[in-house]
Amino acid sequence: MTLATAAAIEATPVPEGAGHVATKPVLQLVGVKKVFGEFAAVDGINVDFKEGEFVSIVGPSGSGKTTLLRMLAGMESPSEGYITLRGNLINDVPADQRPTCLVFQSLALFPHKTVGENIEFPLKVRKMPPAERKERALELMRMVRLPESYYGKNVMRCSGGEKQRVALARAFAYDPDVLFFDEPLSALDYKLKKALEKELKDLHRESGKTFVYITHSLEEAMVMSDRVGVMSRGRIAQIGTPEEIYTKPVNRFVAEFFGEVNSFEVTERVGGWTTADGTVLTVSGVPDGVSGKATVIVRPETMRFVPAGSSADNTISGVIYNEYSLGSRMQYQVHAGERIFLVEASRTASGGLSAGDAVTIGWDAADAIVVGD
Amino acid sequence: METRSQIRARFFVRIWTAFVLVAIYLPILCGALAGLTKGRYFAFPVKMFSGEWWGKTLESFEIQTLVQNSLLIAFIVTLVSVFLAFFGALAFARYDWKGRRLYQKAILLPVFFPQPVLGLALLLWFNALGINPSWQTAVVAHLVWIVPVVTLVIAIQVYSFDPTLEEAARDLGASRWFILREVTLPILWPGIWSGALFAFLLSWGNFPLSLYTAGVDSTIPKWLYSKMVAGYTPMVPALGTMSTLSAAALLLTGGLIGILVRRRREQA
Repeated sequence: MTLATAAAIEATPVPEGAGHVATKPVLQLVGVKKVFGEFAAVDGINVDFKEGEFVSIVGPSGSGKTTLLRMLAGMESPSEGYITLRGNLINDVPADQRPTCLVFQSLALFPHKTVGENIEFPLKVRKMPPAERKERALELMRMVRLPESYYGKNVMRCSGGEKQRVALARAFAYDPDVLFFDEPLSALDYKLKKALEKELKDLHRESGKTFVYITHSLEEAMVMSDRVGVMSRGRIAQIGTPEEIYTKPVNRFVAEFFGEVNSFEVTERVGGWTTADGTVLTVSGVPDGVSGKATVIVRPETMRFVPAGSSADNTISGVIYNEYSLGSRMQYQVHAGERIFLVEASRTASGGLSAGDAVTIGWDAADAIVVGD
Repeated sequence: METRSQIRARFFVRIWTAFVLVAIYLPILCGALAGLTKGRYFAFPVKMFSGEWWGKTLESFEIQTLVQNSLLIAFIVTLVSVFLAFFGALAFARYDWKGRRLYQKAILLPVFFPQPVLGLALLLWFNALGINPSWQTAVVAHLVWIVPVVTLVIAIQVYSFDPTLEEAARDLGASRWFILREVTLPILWPGIWSGALFAFLLSWGNFPLSLYTAGVDSTIPKWLYSKMVAGYTPMVPALGTMSTLSAAALLLTGGLIGILVRRRREQA
């Protein structure tokens, strides 16, 4: 694809930490399917997870991401296809014999055990002597930033964030090759979630382990991951770096999964790409193989107000219908005839605009994304 | 501020509660008093109190045998029923399997069956098999009725058990046996404990099944009944009171142990 232009990349924050990834695949999925009765929950997935990589799989509920994870962790076996770990086929290897570990959505901490006993569980399974176990548990508690005094604390008396740390430490105690996460942060409040997302990414960097994170929140996936896979109806619609997913979505589903977008269904005519109402759009970077019909997607953050005297590749006149505060930025709903657009702008750039004002909105061809149907 | 109607409502609630308590405990108290009389015959109100019959009861060889029988039966019933009911409860509430719904209904049947009829049916069955009724057959009879009850008691605890805990333990490398010992059993322990108490008390106090199926061996309830029918002495209410008190003591100790365990766990 040749769509990425300098402007598009500039508009996108490039996530850090994408550089330290080695390229050897540790976990490979080839044509993996899981069928329940007539329904294919996972319908042919091919992915390579590289050593030390942080990969998130995102998708709406029912997209098959949890089934995929359960197959990876060994709680289900695939109906078809192959899962290999360091080159060994592990399709039917049960969970207790895989060097992988899952952090459950509910965390699944043992309620009758203390923080220390929870973390030591996998060590006790391996018959490590108690003194050594304790030493390792305390070491792991330091790693996940739990105070030492928590060692003998009842795990059910810990706060939500502390429980997350215990679950993480317990998973690390198992010393797995790959760690799986089934959106463990989903039950936390926003602020704590944001803090823990960053901590998890730091932990990933410090431990050098391979992380596979399942979530329904693309935002969460973007913050942490080296690569993001977007799942839809049992398949991976697209997998790539967060930047690629953001700037070069392969279809409308991926583009819209990211949030609200302005989209135009266009057909190729003599004059160029034309909308249903006859407007010809200035379009650049049409992907190879797209012809006849396409969708032009303009994100609210690349749509802008075009004041008199300046210009944009595409412009539309309309009236501001309503405004929404997003914190540092404002979002405007602009009505232009039958069509409704969303425009985002910083508070200073849009100063003085309010509902009822007639405006011209527009975007540059380079900022729009063209996808086939 | 409480309104007039609230005060009145509270007054009636208290009166009603007191009435229910009196209705339940006064007869028991009367029975206990009957054992403390000096006279030979059952008469109320008691004219003169004495500990004579309590002493005689404690000294009686016959009653020692009765207590031994009842204890032996109750202990065996408790052990066997908790073992069976634990796995039965897992099948009842934890695992989804074909025929589970039928099993859930079938296991309830003996509980709804009138016990005298159940006892008679079991006696006929033992006869047909050529087994002489004794305290051992009484154990079997008690189990038929008590295992379902204990299964239900433990199943309540199993319903609140989160199966992902077992999955997580498995994922951390634990074998089935290790999971049972380290995760499932300790978490279900309160349910198993109350199931065991139930089993013991239900067997200890059971009359209809013992009457039919214990043969020549007698248990405390059976003896109490036969002495009421013929040959009453105040040893009957005395032994009845002792039996009730020891059951209450067991229940109290059991509850206390439960509270202590929970407190120790929570303090950590």
